[in-house]
Amino acid sequence: MSTPRAEEIGLRVGLEVHQQLSTGRKLFCSCPVVKTEEFPFTVKRKLRPSQSELGHIDPAAVFEFLKGKFNIYMWNKESSCLVELDEEPPHNPDIEAIEAAILIALALNSEVVDEIHVMRKIVIDGSNTSGFQRTAIIALGGYLEFSGRRIGVQAVTLEEDAARVLGEDEKARYFALDRLGIPLVEISLDPVTASPKEIEEIALALGRTLRSTGKVARGLGTIRQDLNISVSGGAVVEVKGVQKLELISKVVEYEMKRQSGLNIIAAKLREKGIKEIEVKYKEVQPELFSFLPDILKKDVDGKHLVGCIVAKKIAGFIGYEPYSGIRLGKELAEVARANSIGGIIHSDEFQKLGLDINSERKLRVALEADEDDALILFVCERERSEKITNALIERLKYSIVGVPPETRGPTAEGETRYMRPRPGAERMYPETDIPEIVITREIIDSISRKVPVPWAETVKTVSSKYNIKEDTALRLFDEGKIELFSEIVESTGLPGPYVASVIVDTVAWALREGAEESRITDSLLRETLSMLSASRITKEAVPEILLKVGKGEASSPEQAADLLGIRPMPEEEVEKVVERIVRERINLITERGDKAFSALMGEVMKETRGRAKGENVALILKKKIEEISRG
Amino acid sequence: MEGLEGYRGVARGLLERYGVEVGDVIEVNTGTRKIVGTLVPRYIYDDEFHIVLKLPNGYNIGLDARKILSLKLVKKGEQPAFKVPEPPRTREDLPRVAVISTGGTIASRVDYRTGAVHPAISAKELYALVPELSSIARIDPEVFMSIYSENVEPDHWSRLAKRVEEAVNEGYDGIVITHGTDTMGYTAAALSFALEGIPVPVVIVGAQRSSDRPSSDAALNLIAAVDFASKANLSGVYVAMHYGKSDDIIAFHLGTRVRKNHTSSRDAFKSIGTAPAALWQEGNVSLMLNFLPTRKEVGRFVSKPKFDGSVSLLKFYPNMQENFLRAVLGCGIKAVVVEGSGLGHINSRNIKHLTEFINKGGFVFMASQCIWGRVNMNVYETGRDLLNSGVVPLATMISETAYVKAMWALANSSSREEVIDLMRRNIAHEYLERTLE
Repeated sequence: MSTPRAEEIGLRVGLEVHQQLSTGRKLFCSCPVVKTEEFPFTVKRKLRPSQSELGHIDPAAVFEFLKGKFNIYMWNKESSCLVELDEEPPHNPDIEAIEAAILIALALNSEVVDEIHVMRKIVIDGSNTSGFQRTAIIALGGYLEFSGRRIGVQAVTLEEDAARVLGEDEKARYFALDRLGIPLVEISLDPVTASPKEIEEIALALGRTLRSTGKVARGLGTIRQDLNISVSGGAVVEVKGVQKLELISKVVEYEMKRQSGLNIIAAKLREKGIKEIEVKYKEVQPELFSFLPDILKKDVDGKHLVGCIVAKKIAGFIGYEPYSGIRLGKELAEVARANSIGGIIHSDEFQKLGLDINSERKLRVALEADEDDALILFVCERERSEKITNALIERLKYSIVGVPPETRGPTAEGETRYMRPRPGAERMYPETDIPEIVITREIIDSISRKVPVPWAETVKTVSSKYNIKEDTALRLFDEGKIELFSEIVESTGLPGPYVASVIVDTVAWALREGAEESRITDSLLRETLSMLSASRITKEAVPEILLKVGKGEASSPEQAADLLGIRPMPEEEVEKVVERIVRERINLITERGDKAFSALMGEVMKETRGRAKGENVALILKKKIEEISRG
Repeated sequence: MEGLEGYRGVARGLLERYGVEVGDVIEVNTGTRKIVGTLVPRYIYDDEFHIVLKLPNGYNIGLDARKILSLKLVKKGEQPAFKVPEPPRTREDLPRVAVISTGGTIASRVDYRTGAVHPAISAKELYALVPELSSIARIDPEVFMSIYSENVEPDHWSRLAKRVEEAVNEGYDGIVITHGTDTMGYTAAALSFALEGIPVPVVIVGAQRSSDRPSSDAALNLIAAVDFASKANLSGVYVAMHYGKSDDIIAFHLGTRVRKNHTSSRDAFKSIGTAPAALWQEGNVSLMLNFLPTRKEVGRFVSKPKFDGSVSLLKFYPNMQENFLRAVLGCGIKAVVVEGSGLGHINSRNIKHLTEFINKGGFVFMASQCIWGRVNMNVYETGRDLLNSGVVPLATMISETAYVKAMWALANSSSREEVIDLMRRNIAHEYLERTLE
């Protein structure tokens, strides 16, 4: 079956964008924002779910606690202090971050609240040492302009970033604290029905609006998208932490297939007259091990057992694929893996795994399973079998309903994988260590003056004023170079298209050739191009200079020009070079006449290595060739 | 939680006009938008202009009451009924431990609807929140008092000592006292003297992160305290807190040697001049000192719970003014513990005021503000002058313990000699024979 269309299946996608601010310090302490590579210190902690008033414990919280793992936090004094370690109460929030968040809110036409209250949002997966994330609503409502539409903004919040996950093993999860506490703005948009590609474009438009404020960080990991995706008749699935924009459309497409696929499976189950999935759990006794598929046997030892869930009357459904790669078996395997076991084996794949009919029959008899029952087998440590069985049974039972509410994570290919149940709603309470912050009319007015022109307008204006293509202007905008661009054009008088091509294309070339991004600074571009406009270097020398400085072989464009020996060549000297080459290649000219021009041009340019202007060389060369041709 | 908790002035006026209360779901019309949320309490020191709404997504926001056009009651608030989950069964053969709470919350639950934090009070609630306890001991929790530890006074120590005496005589195998951390060290010292010769362990326990947080150190400290109190073959008074910043090892400090050395970290409490008495990890107790008293069989235990509050603790500082010192000494106190500089000194010009105080019958005891080390007043002339005036040096006794002990010594002596004798006697390891740190 081909991929379903958005409208047909009632696709709704709500985007949540988390963007790091560029304030350079953390939100609730004075630690700088530094990516740490070495971690001399570690602490080991456990988080306990706190109980809410109704005696109800958050399902996501219980899930994490039951995993029973320690969290190991690794830290370095260059990037973390006792606040990140949860050893000291938070300081007052950074006022610069609050102002940046307000500016972003205003750029999105959102209404700033009169008083900001910092909340504790319970997050018990270990990514926050405190067991909660500090977060505050800055503004409500508003909209994003997107190709003539207005996409509603639900809220703009300011929050602290979580710790960076370093890894996980049987006993513990490992986190780095360098990222914990970096200020993030979160913008949540109203759910919309749109094609996967459009969803991606909405995210891009939102990202551009954020960047237009000049207050947000750039680079990988500084922006993360969460997608709340649902189709008609299904629960909302939250896909957390999509870092690359290009993955958004793929993730949406995959979830469309997965969710409508699960709905199809549910419908087929109901068609078969099944009202509820009946299951029973059986442990596979060692005397039956010889009848198991080989793949299971190798993992069993004294500490482990082989568990089996017998699901009545649904043989064939576990391996059934309404869309390619979408099947209940995969869903169950993901739940198993989230519970730290390798996966599952089910009876729909026995044949594929090479299990003979006799073994299967013996297994079914011993487990009291009929022909039309499905078997789900797994290997796990004895003490954890009950928990894992329950998780698998719960997922299995949901297959009659359709799409379960889950939190999922993206894969590198743009698919999604089960992470944990969706958190319950009531898991926030006030951060009593931080007083509320009153936002006065005066504060709003002073920030209003800094609200940027919408990026689309900036791109249009720049494009027409400097005579460059809109695409090029947009690239300059995306790379944060639009101000540098107009400044250089204004100060040097060089043509807009040329300056744009240096900033966008020549720099990209230099990076490919091995220049380091950090060395290609704005001031390098500024100085190099002003040398050009003063005729102290030629156009041809510009890439060479950028590369030389970019590789760290020269400290300034001046020095690079000297080292490269590419000060402009006096005209007489150019003439000499041309004459010599013409003489050497006289045969070529007599044979091919005017057609020899481009070959010789290349040779001259190679020899003068950026010291001669192309148009000069061409003039001289043409003259010489004509002289010879005329004889 | 009821009425309009924390609201006053303009905001209260508005809420009263519309007859809404904390806990009600209301719709607020700000002119530009209508916002629905639950009205939540306001902190008493906040301004009078804002009302606080909890939105359906859990966030709180403050809205300026002066900008609100109208309010509408959507739904009256309901008092949530807290259903305590069935606690696990406790075996009858487990030891019995009394858990006496004095303030602070060692275990609590959060009302996410309003943000209020409620302490767990009954054994059932405590078991439900810290289920590990049920396999360690049969506990009888009681709320003895509920005060911030900075408000604890000698009278509280006396009553607490009496209560512990009763609990011992009721046959508990151990006693756990939950306590705010600020003055926990002082209470530990006070109980160490008042409960001299106690046959079972008394463990004072607190938390540096409040118990409503998932990261709280309260549960592990409590588990270790109850475990230790129920089974350790030790008697005496101990403080149980995190040994380091990790949730693994809990240190048990001698009640007379423990000091809070950090404002906020989990391992704020340190034993001064010695290792902790014991370390606990996953149910295993390792003794670190070899002179600790073991459990005893006694017929009936009697405490010495009296304290005389007329003592001051005075830190010497450069330029200590003579009239300041005179005023302190003349305010009606019977004894002063001086936290002297270095080996036990104060500036020379003030020595005469101490002499005068002693000559009138007052006691001056000398401890050091250095925290580590031993007071020795024979090394410098100032020290010898002070000794000559009748100042009593306290060697390795930490100043906070000395202050508490002076109150206890005054209340349990009938003569000047007896006071000084008690102060010089090593009752609960307040003196260390050897200085090793």
